Amino acid sequence: MYLPDFEYHMPATIQEACALLAEKGQVAKVLAGGTDLLNKMKHGLVAPAVLISLKQLEQLSNIEYEEGKGVLIGARATHNAICNSKLLQEKYLSICEAAHHMANNQIRNVGTIGGNISNAVPSADLPPILMALDASITLVGTKGERVMALEEFFVGPGKTLLAPDEIIAQIVIPDQSCTGSTYIKFGLRRSGALAVVGVAVAVTMDGNVCKDARIVLGAVAPVPMRAPKAEAMIIGKAISDDLLEEVGVCASTECKPIDDIRGSAEYRRDMVRVFTKRALRKAINEGHV
Amino acid sequence: MGEKYAVIGKSVPKIDGRAKVTGQAKYTGDLKLPNLLVGKILTSPHAHARIISIDTTEAEKLPGVKAVITHKDVPTLKYGISPARWDESIFCSDKVRFVGDKVAAVAALDDETVYKALKLIKVDYEVLPAVFDPEEAIKEGAPQIHDEYARNINTEIHQNFGDVDKAFAEAHHLRTDRFVGNRTYQCPIEPHSAISIWEGGKLTVYSSTQSPHYFQHYIAREFGLKMGDVRVIKTYVGGGFGGKLEPTGLEFAGAVLSKITGRPVKMFYDRHEMFAHNRGRHKQIMEITTSVDKNGKITGVYANFMMDGGAYTSLGIATAYYAGAMLPLTYEFVNFKFDMIRAYTNLPACGAQRGHGAPQPRYAFECHLDNVAADLGMDPIELRLINARQPNTVTPNDFAVNSCELTECITKAKEISGWVQKKGNLPSGKGIGIGVGSFVSGAGYPIYRTNLPHASAIIKVHEDGTAATLYTGATDIGQGSDTVLCQMAAEAMGFRYENMKIVAADTETTPHDFGAYASRQTLMSGSAVKQAGEEVKGQMLELASEMMEVEVSDLDCRDSIVFSLSDPEKAMPFGEVAREFFVRKGPLVGKGSYAPPKLGGTFKGAAVGTSPAYSFAAQISEVEIDEETGEIDVKDVWDVHDCGMVINPGLLHAQVHGALYMGMGESIWEQVLFDDKGKILNPNLGEYRMPTAMDMPRITSELVESYEPAGPWGVKEVGEGATIPTMGCYANAIYDAMGIRVNSLPLSYEKVWRALKEKKEKEKA
Repeated sequence: MYLPDFEYHMPATIQEACALLAEKGQVAKVLAGGTDLLNKMKHGLVAPAVLISLKQLEQLSNIEYEEGKGVLIGARATHNAICNSKLLQEKYLSICEAAHHMANNQIRNVGTIGGNISNAVPSADLPPILMALDASITLVGTKGERVMALEEFFVGPGKTLLAPDEIIAQIVIPDQSCTGSTYIKFGLRRSGALAVVGVAVAVTMDGNVCKDARIVLGAVAPVPMRAPKAEAMIIGKAISDDLLEEVGVCASTECKPIDDIRGSAEYRRDMVRVFTKRALRKAINEGHV
Repeated sequence: MGEKYAVIGKSVPKIDGRAKVTGQAKYTGDLKLPNLLVGKILTSPHAHARIISIDTTEAEKLPGVKAVITHKDVPTLKYGISPARWDESIFCSDKVRFVGDKVAAVAALDDETVYKALKLIKVDYEVLPAVFDPEEAIKEGAPQIHDEYARNINTEIHQNFGDVDKAFAEAHHLRTDRFVGNRTYQCPIEPHSAISIWEGGKLTVYSSTQSPHYFQHYIAREFGLKMGDVRVIKTYVGGGFGGKLEPTGLEFAGAVLSKITGRPVKMFYDRHEMFAHNRGRHKQIMEITTSVDKNGKITGVYANFMMDGGAYTSLGIATAYYAGAMLPLTYEFVNFKFDMIRAYTNLPACGAQRGHGAPQPRYAFECHLDNVAADLGMDPIELRLINARQPNTVTPNDFAVNSCELTECITKAKEISGWVQKKGNLPSGKGIGIGVGSFVSGAGYPIYRTNLPHASAIIKVHEDGTAATLYTGATDIGQGSDTVLCQMAAEAMGFRYENMKIVAADTETTPHDFGAYASRQTLMSGSAVKQAGEEVKGQMLELASEMMEVEVSDLDCRDSIVFSLSDPEKAMPFGEVAREFFVRKGPLVGKGSYAPPKLGGTFKGAAVGTSPAYSFAAQISEVEIDEETGEIDVKDVWDVHDCGMVINPGLLHAQVHGALYMGMGESIWEQVLFDDKGKILNPNLGEYRMPTAMDMPRITSELVESYEPAGPWGVKEVGEGATIPTMGCYANAIYDAMGIRVNSLPLSYEKVWRALKEKKEKEKA
């Protein structure tokens, strides 16, 4: 286990970083927290000839609110910065909680939200809750900036729509009417375990009637996925345990899990049923976003 | 002076506690020496392959590389920790037998160069068919792993005591169950490392070791050196649990690299390489049949086992014997039959992990007994009490048991856990279970045949009497033997613990001891230390008698004060007497050594499991199962131990906590997984899931009054004994919560989920 040789750059501006990416091409990788990339390099799984560090791009670490836009989370914000952000705790506690249950404290101190998203690992913990909250993602490249819904960003395991010269700049969570949201991660121990299944939900309740719902499933498909049929099943209905069970069953038929060392597809599918139901119940009962 | 003992029986601070928590303690990997080179081993990417050629030319040309070695550069003598089968080589010459087998090594100026050089070594392999399952491995026509061992049978055991057939024929109830264990790995926090320095005719090795003695013995043997020309020094060690008992390629290859380069060479395993080197727990396949009479008394037991040994023997032959030998120790029965096959497979070699061969069979037997109890409509605790071993008895395999408070352990555990109120009355999804166990307090015989005493010690009082140093070969790997032995030395001398120093586990400066394994040091090393301390005290009192003009028989020494028993006002500081001793007679030194009495029977394998004393324990746990997900939440564990006199209660309870922690991991989460080519899928602490602090239950660790005549001050072991009942205890609680049995480890959430689902489906149908 030793890092292979690579060329190292630490650009001072995001434009400079994009220009470097464009110039170096496919052999270049962006380095943020490095918790995933450096580990893969040490194990010989990837061997980028060029690393472009975002270390100097301080503005990418900000977490702030902008009137008319919503909450902006800079791509370099670490998981612990997200956990500890007063702004997020107040407006979107469910994001803080999702970040808090990731990996372990050492990794949370270093790993970043941009890295978590750009890795596009199916079991990643942040994308489901961000998608449930209708987040969009801002990409900056040599030709300028573009914005897309986060749920459109993922293409497959490790694959995204990020162009070779682009960097994730920020994640935007728009103002919304949602009354409750949560992310439940089901791992095989209480800390330091990857999700076998992750379910994020956001609901808008009017009394006992669900006006709107977004259900996002993690670790059960090539990308974090919405469960549209399950969502349709709950919208407009009065909540009951039977309904939540039916919605869970519906979500479990929508997911596309595989067998791996953490669990069989069959198990994962049933866990989608269980945790969709539980996540909805939690979001409805706790009533915070 | 009211208390019987001044130093022992107290939770004094660990002697190395400050050094460890401040980071001052240096482990082998931390050491830096002038001209130090870094060495690394190239291992096989194939599970089974013939080596066609090895080309090291390019690696040798790389600037900074100082040596590249293969089988051509090292002794060909085969080695292994167990003389019963020496089947390992420093480097493979003909073929590799698992993914991770040793092929070549490099020494270079720095880490970076070493890793680059490894990539430049070209090895041509002819890949051979491989076998990964012990039941497949012993079939005719399976790939042959070692030419010498037909059908891949590494060892075969057939033992028969009493008349099992008769017991079974006359049984009131007879039951057979089959259980499958898991391959687990010790995962000590500190990775293995070694620094070898071969200067002139002398080889010095700093190592992360559980036994400097066995390292010295086998390293000397491998290189044809006199033992006196090999010095093995243990540094601080960050855990072993059985995995650091035998020298590895780090010591053997490191020695050769140092000899060739004339420079010290540091070698280490990274986490992945530790998993590949392994020597962890064997996976056992265990079929157990038990007959009982109408009262639930066990009349006969037949254990028919098989174990996956991996590619080499390691300590596995002893493991195989232990698997059976410990069964008739915990419960009393006279008819016992044991068959075992240890099979070679193309997987990393298994060895001795905390509890050695005993925990999985104990898991199987404790689960099996709960099944028997259910068949008979008996409370599981009742069944255990009826069969529990009693003091001053002999097992069918000739182990003499002196002290034994198992009945008291079970009774107390039942009481403090609220068993009576809980059993059968817990709400759905909750369960309570018991596991019982026993273990050796040191092996009756060393690993290789020798008549050396098992332990020895020297205590030297400093010239001015303000301090005393204990010199012992005993090996502290984190469990706290340095602390406990200093407490024992101080008690025996009448000295203060705070003024004790220790030099331990250095084959040149400290007297011989076999090291940290088989839970031997508190009893065995402790005996030697006690004798040494008493010798110091005897000499002190003799001189004090002259100085104080008091009869020796009227003198005693405690807390560093020599005083008259009849008139305690007459007293003199220890230091003053000790200083005078040095002036008049030279160094004040005490010596001690310990050899166990001749133990055990004469049948084949009779030595394994013999011990001067045995510890006993009962554990009860309460679990809660999420009936939808299968998630297991261990709520509470109660451990009650009979470990004789306790020297340091704090350290003792820490051992129990550690054992419950490891046992919980092995019961619910831990398992080394392989792909269909024999490559480890989870050689890291992310996917090989040991419990975290957040997963731990509330623990209640209690003791019963006990005194062991064979141990100094009545001591017995705890470190491994606390691991023995654990898996069975959790498994039985999970069984109680679910109402159905999963017969394999680990009892993963998914297995529990599946069992519950099948149960529901059955109930519907």
